[in-house]
Amino acid sequence: MSKQTGRAFVFGDDVDTDLIYHNKYLAETDPAQMPQYSFEYYPGHENFAKEVKPGDFVVAGKNFGCGSSREHAVYCLQYAGVPCVLAETCSRIYYRNAINNGYPVLFVKGLSDAIKSGKIKNGDTLEVDLAAGSVRDTVTGEEFHGDAVSDLEHEIMEAGGLFGYMKKQAATKK
Amino acid sequence: MPPYQISEKGEAAMGKTIIMKIMERAAGRPVKIGERVWCNVDLASARDFGGANCVLQFEKEMGMEAKVWDPDKIAYTFDLQAPAHSEKVANNQKIIREFAKRQGIKHVFDVNHGVGQHVMLEAGLMKPGDVVLGTDSHMNLLGSMGIFATGVGNSDVAAAYIAGTAWFRVPETMKIVVTGKFKKGVCMRDLLTKIIGDLGAGGMDYLAVEFTGETIENASVAERITLCSMVTEMSGKVPLIMPNGEALEWLAARAGEEVRERVKLLAADPDAPYIKELHYDVTDLEPMASCPDAPDNVRTVREVAGTHVDQVHIGSCSNGRYEDMKAAYDVLMAGGGVVHPGTRVIITPSTTEVQMQCVREGLALKFLEAGIVFTNPTCALCTAEHYGAMPKGDVGIATNNRNFIGKVGKGSHTYLMSPMAAMASALRGEITDPRDILGE
Repeated sequence: MSKQTGRAFVFGDDVDTDLIYHNKYLAETDPAQMPQYSFEYYPGHENFAKEVKPGDFVVAGKNFGCGSSREHAVYCLQYAGVPCVLAETCSRIYYRNAINNGYPVLFVKGLSDAIKSGKIKNGDTLEVDLAAGSVRDTVTGEEFHGDAVSDLEHEIMEAGGLFGYMKKQAATKK
Repeated sequence: MPPYQISEKGEAAMGKTIIMKIMERAAGRPVKIGERVWCNVDLASARDFGGANCVLQFEKEMGMEAKVWDPDKIAYTFDLQAPAHSEKVANNQKIIREFAKRQGIKHVFDVNHGVGQHVMLEAGLMKPGDVVLGTDSHMNLLGSMGIFATGVGNSDVAAAYIAGTAWFRVPETMKIVVTGKFKKGVCMRDLLTKIIGDLGAGGMDYLAVEFTGETIENASVAERITLCSMVTEMSGKVPLIMPNGEALEWLAARAGEEVRERVKLLAADPDAPYIKELHYDVTDLEPMASCPDAPDNVRTVREVAGTHVDQVHIGSCSNGRYEDMKAAYDVLMAGGGVVHPGTRVIITPSTTEVQMQCVREGLALKFLEAGIVFTNPTCALCTAEHYGAMPKGDVGIATNNRNFIGKVGKGSHTYLMSPMAAMASALRGEITDPRDILGE
């Protein structure tokens, strides 16, 4: 289970939340409806929502998810079946929103340069081991390694998200 | 919560930054940089955007009978799309109103109030040192008043309804010292744009940022808000300025006398640890612009002068205070009082209080006579789905805080500038240095 294989959808640095999920669709409250709008405004990835299949990965450089606090930008990938975001870094609000939903974001060293130099390309098949934090591009043969999250974030993830964690805490206190 | 208390010294007898003091009080124990802490929340706010998501998530997870931890510490502001522009938004606003009624939440600022942070600040709901959540990534501009406010998603807000807590990483702090006086035609927005250009989109990654120095100490409430309004665009966690002088009086009159005591308690220690210290002198600063399509794509206004402009928007949480309206007004009057016939100009005050002042002082009439659309207070162009959306190929100027690709319409492009530069450009229909209108 831990090792997953899927295609890479590759993005650049500073991918903002309007590119991931445009403000035009903020009135949506049902997470299941959000994937249809994913990356609609990202030049070159306008058809992401139609092309993405469960198991495919979103790969990005630095500061992924900068901009708005909209949790839609996490839901639209999570509910599309993208198992995780692989980014060199992501914005703090995006990171919180992902953790709070039990959605993994793997911080992968050197990813920004690797994208720029073609060591990881759009459409490549990736092997990702989230538990080990390893990423392998089966086309280029390049390997990458991610950071482990802190204890608290790990516990929230394990509980399936912030609500799961809060309920677990409340149950332990009783 | 017990009376406001902070221990004498931090771990290893080290001095403490403002954010460390705030988190220590909110966590009820000493804190270390880098650790995760659970903080008590003083105010959990949400907007018409995100607010309905919070309500629905809370009820789904906790059940329809569940009660929020403290109805007096929850607030809603209707600002992103106020009044509602669609049935869907109207319904979201209704979901919030009805939840607030069921839960006994009184702080509901409906469509007739304005931009959330500004409205809640005017209403005196927050004091320096408070921990405030909001479904607005620019929530942290409240750091301009020493408040630890932070933008979060619906999960953080909805989960805070359970027990009034939220988790945080204790951040490192960067210090920015500002000295000098702005010359005519140059203002705090230009300093902010300069800093963004220097530091870039990731330049304050996860950091708290303390702004200090004579320029800050002499700054008005409006200027402080502006300076703090785009720390998010540099990936910062929270900007912090301890209120003093005129700003302190303004806040104490609204949030109560306790503000004065808090300011003393929260001041950074002389030996507080800073990860980085920067110095800016604004004396020779020029009008600056964030060019399409990123806030950190910065040049001087002179460098991009002459560019044709289809639309100008003055307002937003960055530059929607009365002082911003007045600065734009003065340029308008100096430039003949009529905007260029080929340019659509929209002015949006941030709150009803600001709007009323514009009416009382005669600005509103002059704006309307000038050919300007003077709107109700709202976030306006910060969403493409409200008003002021731009068609493909149009170029806009805005005093807003974002000009991301296609933000106000696919294929349109936006320059971000000060209210003075925006109005100077509105007068001529092309990007114009305000000093060309005002003189140097």
